[in-house]
Amino acid sequence: MSKLKGTLSAAAAEVAARLTASLALVEGRRMGAGAGVVWREDGLVLTNNHVISSRRDHARVTLADDRQFDARVLARDAEVDLALLEIEGGGEFPAARIGDSRALRVGELVFAIGHPWGLRNTVTGGIISHLTTAHTEGPRKEFSVIRTDARLAPGNSGGPLVNAAGEVVGLNAMILGGDQGIAIPSAVAQEFIAAAGVQETTAEEPTRVHAEWL
Amino acid sequence: MSVFKDLSNAMAEAVETAGKATVLVNGRQRMPASGIAYARDYVLTANHVVERDEDIRVTLPDGMEAAASIAGRDPGSDLALLKLEKGGLTPAETGAAARVGQMVLALGRPSGEGVQASLGVVSALHGPARTARGGMLEQFIRTDAIPYPGFSGGPLVDAEGKVVGINTSGLGGGNSIAIPAALAWKVAAELKEHGSVKRGYIGVRSQLVDLPNAAKKTLGREQAQGLLVMGMEDGSPAETAGLMIGDILIGFNGQPVHDHEDLLAALTGAVVGKATPLEILRGGKVETVQITAAERKEEAPRREHRRHAMWEGRMPRGFGRRFGRHMPRHFGPRNNDE
Repeated sequence: MSKLKGTLSAAAAEVAARLTASLALVEGRRMGAGAGVVWREDGLVLTNNHVISSRRDHARVTLADDRQFDARVLARDAEVDLALLEIEGGGEFPAARIGDSRALRVGELVFAIGHPWGLRNTVTGGIISHLTTAHTEGPRKEFSVIRTDARLAPGNSGGPLVNAAGEVVGLNAMILGGDQGIAIPSAVAQEFIAAAGVQETTAEEPTRVHAEWL
Repeated sequence: MSVFKDLSNAMAEAVETAGKATVLVNGRQRMPASGIAYARDYVLTANHVVERDEDIRVTLPDGMEAAASIAGRDPGSDLALLKLEKGGLTPAETGAAARVGQMVLALGRPSGEGVQASLGVVSALHGPARTARGGMLEQFIRTDAIPYPGFSGGPLVDAEGKVVGINTSGLGGGNSIAIPAALAWKVAAELKEHGSVKRGYIGVRSQLVDLPNAAKKTLGREQAQGLLVMGMEDGSPAETAGLMIGDILIGFNGQPVHDHEDLLAALTGAVVGKATPLEILRGGKVETVQITAAERKEEAPRREHRRHAMWEGRMPRGFGRRFGRHMPRHFGPRNNDE
């Protein structure tokens, strides 16, 4: 029994350590900071749209090793509350492993990693509570969202929701009623990134996906 | 890391297993709640979520809808048993009694979008306790698993997906607790047979008193307190049995009575309407009289449901307010969902 407990804790610590390396602190508003995930090794960072003021097209990104960078907003979408940043100057960055959110099951163990109330790199745990649909007034009308009972707080926004294998399955986006966390599934994030067409983008202006929502 | 994936899979499987016995119960205006498949055609749920007596609809885990009628209610323990018009349920399996610290999952199915779950541990086991509606719970479970809206009536399950309790926020001021499965199944069996749980009354006004030292010795058991009879209702079972003011009640039906909770717990079920030995202390001597408890009438159910509904409405405190404030309008849920 005590052996099992030790193994479990070690496994949990390993998952947490792996993901913390790819966690970013994103400052894009006058007040408060959010979290972000290093999505690709070339410096693409995914965060929540609401973490970055709608009047800005740049944000400050701090990685887990305390390196700070300026990042340009490549694309943003208020409907799914996602924003894509590109770290300026390039380089190689520790990208997270992205999991398939469509394979999630209710009851699966998950971690949320972020900076709740400004506490850097904080890990909270829970399970997938519900796989449901959010209804919007945007062009998508609806998209799937994840509900989790992992404790979230302001500062978790944009941070990863991670499964037991250490893969990012969602981006934590909001808190309902004080105890329900809502995360945007990784599948929705991947669609958003594909729609943003990041490979070609060199434009001066951020690509405005669904401009009517900005 | 694989041990972690194994645990994760085991929990998803526990949700899947128990989810097959977790149904949606639509019996009130506000929002649907949950229920547990008790038998192939019976659903056990929380009494306070079944506000209507008719037009109750149950959605089975496979998405099929079925009409249900009330087989019995027990407001005292906030349980109700529903009979489905057609069978087809997979009855839930009950597990071993809950232990403090044990990992549990709270399940519910308040929407058509599949089962929902939250994770926690058994925080405490309490009881016996008197519920706000005059019922007695021999024991109840406290857990830190989040009771999402509409989880009342749903199961609290162990790591294998076996039911250890039934969730309800309809007892005790809106706090969410779980009624242990063994207790709930006992009530369900009685509801299935009689349609109600008989609760008795004997018609005394009593006060908790310390027993005299001499009496403690003659009693020959560990009992420090009893109930001093202060008054009796005219024509009550107590008067008929020949009780007198000044008697101290110390035992009922072979069980010691230490306090009011003990007596209330003992005055349930088969003893109602049947001559039962009541042990008293009279003039320093232990005596036994036979008493026939009468059935206690519950308050009008309507009023009580409204009270329970109000409690649940208060449940995550300030829920509605905060919900409105933090939620961008375009991101809102459908009506009737949350």
